[in-house]
Amino acid sequence: MFDDTREFIEALRASGDLVEVEKEVSWDLELGAISRLACEKDGPAIWFKRIADYPDDITVLVNPMATWRRVAMAFGLAPDASIKDIYREYEKREGKLIPPVTVERGPCHEVVRRGSEVDLFDLPAPMLHEGDGGRYLGTWDLVVSRDPASQWVNWGTYRFMLYDSSHLTGFPRPTSHLGKMFQDYYVPRGEPMPIAIVIGADPLSHFAASATFHLGGDEAGLAGGLRGEPVDLVRCRTSDLLVPACAEIVIEGEVLPDRVGLEGPYGEYPGYRTGEMGNGILFRATAITHRKHPIFTVDATGYKDDSSTVTALSGALAIQKRLERHGVPVVDVYMPPEGAVHLAIVAVQYGGKEVARNILETLTSRRALISKIFMVEADIDIFDMGKVLHAFSTKCHPAHGVHVIHYEGRANTLTPCYSQGERVAQKGATVLFDCTWPGEWSREWETPVKATFDSIYSESVRRKVLERWRDYGFDK
Amino acid sequence: MVSTNERKSWETFVRRPGDLREGAELPLALRDLNPGRKKYSVRHVVATVSRNPEEMPHVDTLFVRTVVGVLLPETWGITILRDLPIEVPGKPYHDFFASLKAAARDGDKT
Repeated sequence: MFDDTREFIEALRASGDLVEVEKEVSWDLELGAISRLACEKDGPAIWFKRIADYPDDITVLVNPMATWRRVAMAFGLAPDASIKDIYREYEKREGKLIPPVTVERGPCHEVVRRGSEVDLFDLPAPMLHEGDGGRYLGTWDLVVSRDPASQWVNWGTYRFMLYDSSHLTGFPRPTSHLGKMFQDYYVPRGEPMPIAIVIGADPLSHFAASATFHLGGDEAGLAGGLRGEPVDLVRCRTSDLLVPACAEIVIEGEVLPDRVGLEGPYGEYPGYRTGEMGNGILFRATAITHRKHPIFTVDATGYKDDSSTVTALSGALAIQKRLERHGVPVVDVYMPPEGAVHLAIVAVQYGGKEVARNILETLTSRRALISKIFMVEADIDIFDMGKVLHAFSTKCHPAHGVHVIHYEGRANTLTPCYSQGERVAQKGATVLFDCTWPGEWSREWETPVKATFDSIYSESVRRKVLERWRDYGFDK
Repeated sequence: MVSTNERKSWETFVRRPGDLREGAELPLALRDLNPGRKKYSVRHVVATVSRNPEEMPHVDTLFVRTVVGVLLPETWGITILRDLPIEVPGKPYHDFFASLKAAARDGDKT
């Protein structure tokens, strides 16, 4: 398993999943434009070797896990493993947490700058999209925070915008684990919250930080479970927080409980820049530590970015478990990359109004990140969007098959279709399209019979046709 | 006056079309558009703005973007009167612009 970003880069290079750009590029939009186009073309990861205004000893790696090939490789699977195989592998590993190990020293402390030596502009944070509020450096990061009351340590991936030499502004959503910890413990006490922004850890630690994991969950243990071995952690230089020892860069500091700065707007993972601006948090840096020749990691946020694989995969399995706990006859869940973590396909043994209502209530009770759900029967291959679309188009009753739940105070404020007013109130809705046959229909007399090759012919006819397929004159 | 004879370029974001008013002293978050490693660094100021910068030879240039980041076609002139602290007193997850306005008001009282 990969112990750091450098080992992963070597593997990507060997498999042909990496482009190394030797030509100097500007951090001001050029790097972002290249990286965005690469994402939209399902292209390789990119390692930019020369960034204008910056010395050559700091480089930038973009889109490390934005394709299923690269996710498969991060898990140690063959690059051409199927999405279904990757899902099953994650499912197998995520249940076995392996706690991290604390070590005395780590490469992330090869260079240490504190106090007045800290200049956040020393990091080549790119201006990713024209019109963003600023240069973002927390797009492929792992933010460590701790709840003093419970000693729970949270790892999450949260965006941060470069503000001045020692400040960042950020927008971990108020309903996120970090946002909740900050508001529940630190803000009422007026205490700054220490955090560490880790850039360029090993790929599965980033995966664990980005994963949809339960409140109070141990993402460091999850990272160990996914890796099959513990993550080595080392103590920060200006706080007691522990960070992956092999990280490329660590920004240490604190989120201020009674001070603010302007954050956003930003072109986020749904693929749009919504009007989310000026409602975030302010961070003051106390130290920057890094390896020699550090590699700054970036997700070119937007359509088909790293979240469309990483967050979607873990999110789908988290949804499945939640639905199982709430008695939904769920068989499988898939969140397609094109759905931008807003769309879930839920396969069930049987559907109907009650099941639909149960799914909607379960998935919107705390925070409602998913706004569209297709409920299909188990005979649909949910990893094949063509089949899902066919089921939706033909089986979802346009009046009785559409179920909606409304909520306030927990909607996803980054959902592009919400108005500015809805965003402020965190008001939204989730719709479920029931693409299953009504249970009360007689299978013999009323339910339409599916007329596809796999379903309408006897096994003997299918076998005969398949055996003679090439003889009929077909190539494949 | 903090502005100098060297004309600089700044950019600000506004929530609504009427948020920039000529003649009034406005608290603004400006980002520096001048080239270099510190491009897009942020500064909090109190400033006056004008729709006719060409009539004011010693003012800086201000570009304006909307809440969704769209650059408006009009270029404004800006005179920076004074700086405000980079750490603005205010409640996290609440309206920054209200906090900036309060910081400017409180600064006027002291």
